[in-house]
Amino acid sequence: MLFLTRLAFKNLARHRNRTVITSMIIALAVFIYIFYDSLISGMTVMSYGTLIDYETGHLQVVNRAYWAEEEKLPLENLIPMDEALQREIRNGRGFVAASPELNFQARLNNGWDELPVMGKGIDPSAFKGVFALEDQLVEGAMFAPGEYRVVLGKRLADLMDLGLGDYVTLQVKDKNKGLNTIEAEIAGLVHTSNPNVNQNIVYVPLDLAQAALAVEGRVSKVIVRLAEQDWAAKVAVELEQNLKRHNPDLAVYPWSQLEAFAFLGAARLEKQVILAIILLIAAIAIINTVILAALERMSEIGMMKAQGLQNKEVVYTFVMESTGIGLLGGAIGVLMGSILVWFLAKYGIDFDALVGMEMAAFGLPVLGKIYGVWNPKGMITVFAFGVLISFLASIWPAYWAADKDPVQTIYHR
Amino acid sequence: MALLELKGVKKIYDQGKIEVPALRGIDLRVGQGEFTTIFGPSGSGKTTLLNLVGCLDKPTAGTIIFDGRKLDDLDKKELAMIRRHSIGFIFQSYNLIPVLTAYENVEFALRLVNKYNPRETRDRVLDILSAVGLEGLAHRRPNELSGGQKQRVAIARALVKEPKLVLADEPSANLDSKTSEEVLAVMAKMNKELGTTFIFSTHDPLVMAYARRLIEIRDGLIAKDQRREQDAVLN
Repeated sequence: MLFLTRLAFKNLARHRNRTVITSMIIALAVFIYIFYDSLISGMTVMSYGTLIDYETGHLQVVNRAYWAEEEKLPLENLIPMDEALQREIRNGRGFVAASPELNFQARLNNGWDELPVMGKGIDPSAFKGVFALEDQLVEGAMFAPGEYRVVLGKRLADLMDLGLGDYVTLQVKDKNKGLNTIEAEIAGLVHTSNPNVNQNIVYVPLDLAQAALAVEGRVSKVIVRLAEQDWAAKVAVELEQNLKRHNPDLAVYPWSQLEAFAFLGAARLEKQVILAIILLIAAIAIINTVILAALERMSEIGMMKAQGLQNKEVVYTFVMESTGIGLLGGAIGVLMGSILVWFLAKYGIDFDALVGMEMAAFGLPVLGKIYGVWNPKGMITVFAFGVLISFLASIWPAYWAADKDPVQTIYHR
Repeated sequence: MALLELKGVKKIYDQGKIEVPALRGIDLRVGQGEFTTIFGPSGSGKTTLLNLVGCLDKPTAGTIIFDGRKLDDLDKKELAMIRRHSIGFIFQSYNLIPVLTAYENVEFALRLVNKYNPRETRDRVLDILSAVGLEGLAHRRPNELSGGQKQRVAIARALVKEPKLVLADEPSANLDSKTSEEVLAVMAKMNKELGTTFIFSTHDPLVMAYARRLIEIRDGLIAKDQRREQDAVLN
């Protein structure tokens, strides 16, 4: 077998051009995957940060019944914000800060036009501990509790032709279905990498919102920031256990389970689809190469069989040759991919500049440059897949060649 | 006991609706150490006969006994093992592996036998290359060798495993007469020194001149089977 392996690898040099072209197809497939993986991983890391910092936090404490209806932003099943609950949350492992919020449906009116928005009642001091929104104020400042002032996204303000100091009306339906309004001055405008924050949310002082909605002392959820985002899943389980003593209806959800991150699962699926497509291309290239090689070497195959080689040994020779192409292509692809990932990780890509508009406008929670991420496991996986596909794709054409009648192959009939 | 025995061997090729008989009933015995030439016009069945004897094909009817074993009952794997250990082939177009050197082409056959350690393998390969007159050319690839040298490599490859039988199909067809003579002399020498049985299929009078037994095939039947006490060239 060692001799046949040696023969297989020597055969790689027989048609150098063909070997190089097939290897390059595999290399390109591996390269594209590594590039895409690095970019998507980079985007994912940024998106995690963006969503956590501006929208979800690490944990969300919420009533289970509310959670089931959350999309409708109901005013039922809210959480009473008592001291016992706050103490229980504060005592959780890795606790850094907690921010209660009251989310509600509203219509933003500028006097002549209106838009449906999501109102968010927040306590500015608590909010600051969990979210980095204040860092993204492009104009004005955050309001103080009790002030009739709001903060909203710059994009939303532009859309409504509003500016700092302008007055807006938020039309809301309170808990008893009665219509109410919140009249407020625009205290600040923010621009974040989260498109939802930029164009859908109006931040209102919590006490003001509670009064307008007739839900005093109650909130939709409590957002918690932890010292480490990776602890979220474990702490969520622990905290939920602890909260049961306080209120058995409460649930704690880690950021990774939140709806806002669902698109990242889609990105992972997309990555797998791309992997499948490029490996299919590699497989076709390999099948083509093996068939061409077999057709050219028919009399040689016949001679080998005349020498006493069995079908499986002829198959082995071809399969090893293809595996060699896979190894070569995979190695080149990983090398080229590594160079690009190094570049991406160091310098990043400014997609906003490249496309001429912000990625956030396409619904992607990223702003500015996207930096690549090293994923050695992904590189090893795609390399292994490249080699494996080269190996597997060659079995059928190799068997087809090996199973030929030796007499016909010797005389190339 | 004969090394090879054919009893009523027939081979009919099925070409769609037409059946083409290549061999119509061959009875033949070939002893150990014979240097036999099968000749006849194109299409007479020479190559078919060689393929059957070489375990590359199976007869439509009749029996072939090689080295005491009836080939009819053997499966593909068993036939491959007989070819691997007991039969050497020499082809008209050499059929060397172009990416291997002369040494490696010969080594290939010996490696398949898997009987010798690396040192023995090396010694045997170099010895046989030397015996066929290729001393110093072991490292050359087929494209760096002349036609005659290639055929010598093919002879060395066929003989290195010390098979009981060597089958040579038109071995001189691609060689000029001087080279043909040199190559045939090598084979005759090997036949004498190693006692290997050779069966040739040829049109070439020169090959016939070397043979001690001449079998003429016509229309799939043995028309003449003539033995000579000594060959016409080496005596």
